[in-house]
Amino acid sequence: MADAASGSTERSVQVKLVLLGEAAVGKSSIVLRFVSNEFQPNKEPTIGAAFLTQKCRLEDRVLRYEIWDTAGQERFHSLAPMYYRNAQAAVVVYDVTKASSLEKAKTWVKELQRQANPNIVIALAGNKIDLVTPSASPSVPESEDEADDATATPGETGTSGEPESLRQVPRDEAGLLFFETSAKTGEGVVEIFTEIAKKIPIDQILASTRGGQRPGAASGRTAQEGGVNLEENNAKGKDACNC
Amino acid sequence: MATISPHLRNFKEPTKDQLTHLFFALPTAVSPPDANGNGANGEKIANPPEAELEKMEINAVLSLGVQGEEDSYAGKLYLLPPYLAFVSLDRKSVRFTIPLCTIRRVERLNARAGIYALSLSLWHGMKIVVQLTSLRPTADLFCSLLRDALKVELQKGHMKAVKGFVKTCYSELLVANTTAPENGDEKAGEASKTDDTTGDSMYLGGLGLKFKFPGDAKKLREASKTKLWTNYLRTHGRNLTLLRYPQCTRLIQVGLPNRLRGEMWETLSGSLYLRFENPGYYERLLAEHQGRINTSTEEIEKDLHRSLPEYSAYQSEEGISALRRVLQAYSFKNPETGYCQAMNILAAAILIYMSEEQAFWLLEVICDRLLPGYYSPSMHGTLLDQRVFESLVHRCLPIIYDHCQEVDVQLSVASLPWFLSLFINSMPMVFAFRIMDCFFCMGPRVLFQVGAAILKINGEKLLKIQDDGQFIHLMREYFASLGDSAHPHSSDPRARAITRFQELLLVSFREFAVITDDTIFSERRKYRSEIVHSIESFSKRSAIRNLRTLERFTKEQAGLIYDALFKAICIEPPPAVSLPPASLLTTRDQAEERPETRIGLKTFRIFLSEICTWARTEKIVTNGFQQRVDREVAEHELIDRLFFFWDTSYRGALSFQDIVSGLDGVMFNDLMENIEWFFNLHDKNKDGYLTKDDVLTLSESLLFIFRHEVGDAYLGAVSRFMSNAFEYGDTLLPRPEGANPDSEPPQIESNQPYINLATFRMVVLADEILESFFETDFSATFRLEPVPLQDMPNSNSGFLGGIWQNIATDDNRKILHKFTDEIGRAVGKHQVFTRPAIGKYTTLEEPKARESILTPTMRRSTSKTSLTSPSETSAPTSDSSSTLSGSASTSTLTVDPVTPSPSMPSASADYSPMPSMFQAAASAAAMMERTPFAIDDAKDDEDDEDEESDVEDDGVLDEVDAFLEAHDSGLTDAERELAQDLINAEPVK
Repeated sequence: MADAASGSTERSVQVKLVLLGEAAVGKSSIVLRFVSNEFQPNKEPTIGAAFLTQKCRLEDRVLRYEIWDTAGQERFHSLAPMYYRNAQAAVVVYDVTKASSLEKAKTWVKELQRQANPNIVIALAGNKIDLVTPSASPSVPESEDEADDATATPGETGTSGEPESLRQVPRDEAGLLFFETSAKTGEGVVEIFTEIAKKIPIDQILASTRGGQRPGAASGRTAQEGGVNLEENNAKGKDACNC
Repeated sequence: MATISPHLRNFKEPTKDQLTHLFFALPTAVSPPDANGNGANGEKIANPPEAELEKMEINAVLSLGVQGEEDSYAGKLYLLPPYLAFVSLDRKSVRFTIPLCTIRRVERLNARAGIYALSLSLWHGMKIVVQLTSLRPTADLFCSLLRDALKVELQKGHMKAVKGFVKTCYSELLVANTTAPENGDEKAGEASKTDDTTGDSMYLGGLGLKFKFPGDAKKLREASKTKLWTNYLRTHGRNLTLLRYPQCTRLIQVGLPNRLRGEMWETLSGSLYLRFENPGYYERLLAEHQGRINTSTEEIEKDLHRSLPEYSAYQSEEGISALRRVLQAYSFKNPETGYCQAMNILAAAILIYMSEEQAFWLLEVICDRLLPGYYSPSMHGTLLDQRVFESLVHRCLPIIYDHCQEVDVQLSVASLPWFLSLFINSMPMVFAFRIMDCFFCMGPRVLFQVGAAILKINGEKLLKIQDDGQFIHLMREYFASLGDSAHPHSSDPRARAITRFQELLLVSFREFAVITDDTIFSERRKYRSEIVHSIESFSKRSAIRNLRTLERFTKEQAGLIYDALFKAICIEPPPAVSLPPASLLTTRDQAEERPETRIGLKTFRIFLSEICTWARTEKIVTNGFQQRVDREVAEHELIDRLFFFWDTSYRGALSFQDIVSGLDGVMFNDLMENIEWFFNLHDKNKDGYLTKDDVLTLSESLLFIFRHEVGDAYLGAVSRFMSNAFEYGDTLLPRPEGANPDSEPPQIESNQPYINLATFRMVVLADEILESFFETDFSATFRLEPVPLQDMPNSNSGFLGGIWQNIATDDNRKILHKFTDEIGRAVGKHQVFTRPAIGKYTTLEEPKARESILTPTMRRSTSKTSLTSPSETSAPTSDSSSTLSGSASTSTLTVDPVTPSPSMPSASADYSPMPSMFQAAASAAAMMERTPFAIDDAKDDEDDEDEESDVEDDGVLDEVDAFLEAHDSGLTDAERELAQDLINAEPVK
């Protein structure tokens, strides 16, 4: 269809995507995994935002992601609007071993819903699931407080640190994608971007890049489906995680 | 979950003095460590108080002692103890900043008549000649001041410190080694970079000495640069005594030699003076804070391995730990700023060229003076300078600016990192360092010039970009090609040899010379308020968004609460951040919590006075010219109690969330909830019982709330409340088995559980006034909507209207108020009323005390409390200065929904002793049979109460007297006297 629309078949659709989330939750790592399929201490320190691109093939179309990987430090928060304005997609990342980072992620989601492009596709990614052993064996790796927030430990302050609310997020917020990922193992990373690609109203973007304003129409339906798919996909991941 | 900071609001433009200090990079303004209340290390760097030494500036002509070396330059000589500074008239050709302690001799030169010249010999023998071109007496004065200042320096022993200090400077080694200046890499391994400065050649250096400097020494022509510098430094002074002539600037523009770079950065930026004045500070600071972990140190830790990771030193523990120490030291010294990403890159970069201590001080100067506010928690400096840059581009490169607007590309997406990391993160390091050379020499304007030049050079391509992505790509490509020839196809080999980087500098300084320090200053001034406003509204929005719960408030209401809180914080900032930062209060072990502003009691009082009518005293002042409301913040135990009541996490400080939740607990209550809330507020030990003491405190609280109410209905209500409370309390006290229910109640200590909620409720409901108070009035005393404070334009004269607009500052306003008050008083039109907190019963009928719901035994006594009614409702003052004419008040008092009227003298007088009297009275009442109150049940006076106010009314006063006298058996004579005085006192104006 892209061929029919623009004529130039090879022309990819540009999608501006922004990564948000607390410091050190692994935003840059997710991007690095997606862009070059590697995991390493990232070379480029994020000042303001790092900018990367990656193509993503979806059925017969090619999406070219322009990824703005923002600085996570709290004080850079006020600069974020510069990066997420006009973004068609956002990935809000949190660290599954840190309740506070989910808290922060929620505020990001709220902010995006209020301030960003109204059609923005938001994906919530719980990163570092490799730190949470799927078998929930007694030998829990380094981070002490992750696996147990489902069970008892009320020491963890955030009420929302519990898996219930963590589940609720995608249900409450219609159209919010939800993933659990590990930039280290690569689990779930590519899925974020392909699911987003499915949900992005590509035709609209094509139309708007050709001069017309996007009509702001039925993106909701496809979105729903994407969400359902994702639920299924991630069933295992959920089990693996903290609950 | 937010930090609320009034700092931006409180920004003040620097004074002329401060600008001079800034210009000469003097350290005095920089290092007062106590400036931010940083007690932990405050005493350590104590700048000797310079206050008593006079500053002076004088016209002078500077020439070097060596003939023919340099031209003479006319300019201004500044004596700024302990520094002597000079700048040529054009403010850029020639300048120096020399510590007085490096001056060894000052001689008046024997010259032609009428010429007043001084020869200054510096410690290394160089001579500077300054000819003072002012009038003789001025010159004499300058000389004597200079002499005094020098003497002080000598006494302090600073002169001796110089020699030891300069040994740490590479320049001394360069000058001493008159033999072949060494090549960049030859001595890299052996040269010592240790901090100890015992040996003669122990100069300080950076990681580059060991890990090699970036770039090819040959290509950078290190040797010839070093030679040129050696010559310059020999003839023009170095480090502390460097004179900056035009040649110096030229040499800097071609790039500093690697080994000298660190020291020159220090010298040019002025951080050298800080290091000189504060020997050992860095080590002490680190030692003091060793092992400390806070948010900043954690954030630093995350970034250590991503700070110039391509440089070999930062792949080793040595480099990493140096970086860690410098960043931590900065965050310890400046807890307010702490650590901001990008500082890691700066620190990593400068550590290549300088030792940790040098880097620490340079970082200080960068963050504090050169890039002010860039790294602060709000990053306001960054945002401001981005705005300034945008505006400069708009002005200098309108076509590019317009194109960017058109395709909706924000310049900041590319330019923000340029400014924030001094290009280190954007272009190859060797080039970034050369820009930094210029930056330290010429100041922040360099960043703007280079930024504009980058855009200009790429102008054609820029006009083709369609979005941010292309913009970033274009910039990346450009930066990657900086080492290429700018004119690769030119036939002229010399033109071919010009790199794109050279072209960039050329364009920066040639074509954007219009961008001066003054331009930057004035642009910053222009956009500051805009930026501050947007930051404030942003942080307001996110503070509200980040509330854990809005409770029952709407967003708008939360916004109003935030506004009031912010206003209070502006007036009374929360306790300064110290170590551990108060705003980073962590729950001991886990330092995870995000910074959050918490206010102390003082700020809380102001906050509460904003939104709660009884927490302030409002005096309506009419003086014939204007009418205004003077608002004072009330202080009372009740407010303090509320503060701690809301402080549910026992931190002695309240967060925005605490306040929202606290207000929620009181603003939406119905009658029963309010009663319960009030009960809980006063149930000190939360055991579900009020003690007798609690009951008394509670009554005092009520009296405090009612203190400005018109009429004595409330006074009566409280009295009834107390008597009822003690009566019911006694009656309901558990009796020994089989005892006669009518018998004397058992004795009970005043701090024993006494009445429970049910009883309390009963007591409250027994009184109609209290019931209605708890039902609606109390909640209504909290009003989130800001009340217009004053500025009610005079209705009948425009005389002051015009002036009013021009009176901007509070101070002026105060003066005007005082002035008009004086006049008003003189013409007898000065009136002061205190606005009541509730203001309900000004004209209303006072309800009767309710029929008791108690058993007959109780009724017996309750009936005694039913009030006899005197004739007056309101209690206009008789002897106060407020001789109010009814018409005046009705015509002008429009602020309050209820027409205020003069209050009782006792109410408008200082009220604080009253509760204690009441306490005494009340305990008396509790212990013995009650005597009837002489307080009146208000009759329904149909009369307009304004009319009433003219009536002399001693009657009420007498009643009060009688009441007090009847009950002050517990008072000492002195107290009684005081009480008498208070009753007869005039209202406070």
